[in-house]
Amino acid sequence: MSDLELTVDGSPAEAAERWSLAWVDRDAGIARLGDGSRSELCLVEGAGSDWVVTLRGRRIPVTVRSWRERVLADAESAAHLAGGPIEIRATLPGLVVEVAVEDGAEVGEGAILLTLEAMKMQNEVRAPRAGRVSSIAVAAGHTVIAGASLMRIE
Amino acid sequence: MTDPAPPFHRLLIANRGEIAVRVMRACRELGIETVAVYSDADADALHTRLADRAERIGPAPASESYLDIDAVIAAALRSGAEAIHPGYGFLSERAAFARAVEAAGLVFVGPPPETLASLGDKLAARRAVAAAGVPIVPGLLVPLLAGTGDEVVAEVAGIGFPGLVKAAAGGGGRGMRRVDRPEQLATVLEAAGREALAAFGDGTLYYERLIAPAHHVEVQLLGDRHGNLAVLGERDCSVQRRHQKLVEESPSPAVTPEIRASLADDARRVAGTVAFHNAATVEFLLDADGNHYFLEMNTRLQVEHGVTELVTGVDLVAWQIRVAAGERLPPAVLAAELRGHAIEVRIYAEDPHRDFAPVAGTVTAWRMPAGPGVRVDAGVTASTPLPVEYDPLLAKLLVHADERAAALARLCRALDETIVGGVQTDLSFLRWLVDEPGFAMGAYDTGLVPERWAGGPELDDETRALAARAGLERRLAAEPGRAVVDLRDRLQPTSGWATRGRAEAVNHRRSR
Repeated sequence: MSDLELTVDGSPAEAAERWSLAWVDRDAGIARLGDGSRSELCLVEGAGSDWVVTLRGRRIPVTVRSWRERVLADAESAAHLAGGPIEIRATLPGLVVEVAVEDGAEVGEGAILLTLEAMKMQNEVRAPRAGRVSSIAVAAGHTVIAGASLMRIE
Repeated sequence: MTDPAPPFHRLLIANRGEIAVRVMRACRELGIETVAVYSDADADALHTRLADRAERIGPAPASESYLDIDAVIAAALRSGAEAIHPGYGFLSERAAFARAVEAAGLVFVGPPPETLASLGDKLAARRAVAAAGVPIVPGLLVPLLAGTGDEVVAEVAGIGFPGLVKAAAGGGGRGMRRVDRPEQLATVLEAAGREALAAFGDGTLYYERLIAPAHHVEVQLLGDRHGNLAVLGERDCSVQRRHQKLVEESPSPAVTPEIRASLADDARRVAGTVAFHNAATVEFLLDADGNHYFLEMNTRLQVEHGVTELVTGVDLVAWQIRVAAGERLPPAVLAAELRGHAIEVRIYAEDPHRDFAPVAGTVTAWRMPAGPGVRVDAGVTASTPLPVEYDPLLAKLLVHADERAAALARLCRALDETIVGGVQTDLSFLRWLVDEPGFAMGAYDTGLVPERWAGGPELDDETRALAARAGLERRLAAEPGRAVVDLRDRLQPTSGWATRGRAEAVNHRRSR
């Protein structure tokens, strides 16, 4: 046993036994996972403890952490979940088509906050939980980058 | 034998991405020099780099670059191009663009402007086609206006529910919305009208009854300027999400020789309603009883044209250019027959597990399949950033074989060879699709994605365990010292990977 703990897509996982990895294109990060009778291509990108494995067409987040790294990461996320205002951020870069709420508005979970156009699609951004809208940072016609703060729910 | 003179000396491609690259390939084979246009977002794009010459036409938003008629024409005149190929989307079906090209003394590689104008209005086209005796999907032949209240509801109710609200100026599924109940109509009209106005500059809508289950089947037409018209079989485009195509094949598993002949006759009739030359596609819905209904005629090259090229052996893009220069279609094209079976899958930067939402980012790794019967038309390569302003299509993967089962096996093999890194793509959906029993048997319709995929399966235990293995081995390879933590590994410290392999063998023996 090594001292490394694994999670796949956020939950604890065990590595498949008998399978191993061999490079196909080391510069690109492309390798072949095989068990001696079957094999398939995968891509492993990342560094340190955080990796993304592209396998069977899916991008799968994998963490490979020592016990010490895990304890540190858990402490960080516990602090994050403790409460306080939620920052609503753009998941895609795009154009703000419409802001559907005003500062101070009370919204329910799932309420439409604004409409964002990205890649020719109109996407509705909804409230992740009920609360009061504050700090609206955008208006119709603004272009935002991915991760840009749009408003807060308190 | 000497090579014939090229149809044009130099041609400008008023498009981007994979289709710009595709048109360039045809030009190279014909001996034509290529001019690309690019927006600021595409200064380093593949099509910009591959062209003989590239002209900047404006900033990133399409409305200020790829949709800017004056900028495109100025680039053509500046570069000394004699003809303009519009590709698909953008300006390809704009009559005003075709007119401006001709007014500038250049050749538009596409149907005549008046044909684009009359068929671009889908509603007017429906009326003309119905008058020519071709069956159309039951629906209103007059525009639906948002906010006109009860009258509209009554008219639509007369056609029946469920139905589809569509954009008269539309295409590509934009401005299209499903309506199941009368009370949804007001909301749907507003949303669809807004989307249509944003996409096409025209919010006019109409209503059609929903035909389901149905196959979406389209007939490829190619005509010259001398009255010759080739009907080049059909493509089945029933695998769709949000009314946009994901997979196309030819021939259609739902089309018998009798249906094919009948589709061809009606496609000719539709073309006969307008003055037509160059390439176009007539789209039909085919219901479960084998009845077909005209949907629309697209007066441009389709994304999925390659499927027809593979089964007919006709290079549609090359012939578009040659007939635009006045050449006649030869008997080999006019009498082309379908040979074998071709399937195309579209590789999109979209997350099929999140309702096919487009994703932004940069393509990192890029490994495309090759080998017998495989064709890839790609618009990106490794380390290509994906501009959010444009369609998220990355590439089209096409396969051709003697029969459908062999084409499907070839597609499975090709998908196994394909890796795209950096962004989620629909490759997970495509891999699911080729194993889906209904698709494998050819027994599927437009309900396949919404009904059978429905967000896709959860990550299964085997995939999870393999992903964990890949991540673990990768970290161990990066930090060889770490593997030695295992007591058994310490006995024979060689390379990290060999050590892991032995450790696993030990684990395996113990677990038995």
